Amino acid sequence: MNVAAPSVPQPQPQLQLLEGATAIAESAILAGCRFFAGYPMSPFTPLLEHMSRALPAAGGVCINVESEIEGVNMALGAGATGARAATGSCGQGIALMQEAVAEAALNETPMVVFNMARNQQDYFQSTRGGGWGDYRTITLAPKDVPEAVEHTQLLFHLSQLHRAPTVLYGDPLLAQTRVGVHLRKIDFGELPPQDWALDGTRSGTGKSRQIWTWAMGKATDPGLGPDGHWQQIAAKFDRIAETEQRSESRYAEDCDTLVVAFGSAAKFVEYVVEELRDEGHRIGWFRPITLWPFPGPALAAATRGVRRVLVFELNAGQMIDDVRQYADDRDAIRFIGGVSIHESGLSFGPLLDAPEIRARILAASAADSPTRSRP
Amino acid sequence: MTSACLRETVPAEVQILLVGIGGQGIQLIGKTLALAATTEGKHAMLAADYGGEMRGGPSNASVVIGAAPLRSLPILPSAGAAIVANHKFTGPVPERLRQGGLLLVNSSIVDGNAGRGTHRVVEVPATALAAELKAPQSAGFVLLGAFNRLTGLVADEQLVAAMTSLLPPYRAQHAATNAEALAVGAAAVAEQEVLS
Repeated sequence: MNVAAPSVPQPQPQLQLLEGATAIAESAILAGCRFFAGYPMSPFTPLLEHMSRALPAAGGVCINVESEIEGVNMALGAGATGARAATGSCGQGIALMQEAVAEAALNETPMVVFNMARNQQDYFQSTRGGGWGDYRTITLAPKDVPEAVEHTQLLFHLSQLHRAPTVLYGDPLLAQTRVGVHLRKIDFGELPPQDWALDGTRSGTGKSRQIWTWAMGKATDPGLGPDGHWQQIAAKFDRIAETEQRSESRYAEDCDTLVVAFGSAAKFVEYVVEELRDEGHRIGWFRPITLWPFPGPALAAATRGVRRVLVFELNAGQMIDDVRQYADDRDAIRFIGGVSIHESGLSFGPLLDAPEIRARILAASAADSPTRSRP
Repeated sequence: MTSACLRETVPAEVQILLVGIGGQGIQLIGKTLALAATTEGKHAMLAADYGGEMRGGPSNASVVIGAAPLRSLPILPSAGAAIVANHKFTGPVPERLRQGGLLLVNSSIVDGNAGRGTHRVVEVPATALAAELKAPQSAGFVLLGAFNRLTGLVADEQLVAAMTSLLPPYRAQHAATNAEALAVGAAAVAEQEVLS
């Protein structure tokens, strides 16, 4: 896994039993988050609630806004001052935020967006974006609460490093499960100086800074304009696509069947694959940790010579588009996921369950008659 | 469910199902056990599953405790022990409690014959014992006290400390009775063999 380790060994802090949403909020504060704005929506609400208690105590500001549009634009404004700022919701609320996310990407304002999603149906929203213009959002999909704690801090770092909005793809299990976690500040290395921040230091000098999506500049100090500016942004996202891919896999070099999954679903797949492995099945798993940039080359390598590539995701088939782009043999791909929503509409349905996943893997393995063999 | 899923896949981790109805304190005893284990330096996970109702609907939880970072899933495919507080909603217990697993039932309400032959059934009349304490809402702690006596998962005083710290201020007056309920539950199974 390509997540940077802390550069200096630190004493292991005490384990704390924390609800996932609380652990994520505390990790954001450790990462320096000092502004948070959001509107309650399950399962995001506990994250906002904890921020409203903990952030003022840490010297920050948390605002329970009137709408998601207001929340994301406040985060955009706070981020423009150089503050570490964030907002969040579930996918339905984040749909409303897309214009401001696009603005942040195109005017290069860092901020973190927490999607405490109700399920896995926001993959396209996270990886394609719903706004306008040429941009993407770096999206991390943790498999469990301890990893969500780490990803939260990494997202603030990447957001500052690349001056771009970043997304945590969470879910109800990550928000609500209580787990013993070690909370500590993670050092991901030096960041460039914030020589772009609207922090008031140029006030009255005639050289005030601008953050402007169209980069037209001022009469006395013309900017690049939209053509030059957006070409630079496009080149930046190309660089990010190259450098920020993260993935994890096991047994890819020794399997006939490789199961691809992300987020909490990947943890379930990993569990089932280990069980099947113990029983002698030649099976492995692959997990994109960054949904964007999708770890295409790693998937291509992992699927080389594999007879079946099974895609498990809790939606009608979204990540499978990326798998199709990169899998070594597109004909080897089978979809074993599906839409599965709790009757409340707020959480996963019965498909996110180890016995069910196991049955689908075995059925898919028995159904086809593989024509390829490993080289 | 396949037989393979019923075997002990992660023996180093203790997996417990807790089932009952809203109002019986299932969520609070789950939190109490997980917090007590965490305070002792163990790794713990608590996953809750309940509806929007304050009382009367199914209320389930699962607790996992281990010495190392946990591999268990937040939705357990199988478990080695279960606490069943109410007959109305047995939840995942009949399907997921492994053969020979400890099945602790509130025998004031639940018929313990159900699991006999496949599980190690221990009956505790938790509702009746809690009524004797004039604290019917503490039946869950009677069960937790019994469970901890049978399994020795955490020190008794850690359970009391965890329970006390979890009560909101407007329930703080119940701490002493809850502690008594834990002790009554432990005493109710004092003659039972302790599980290793």
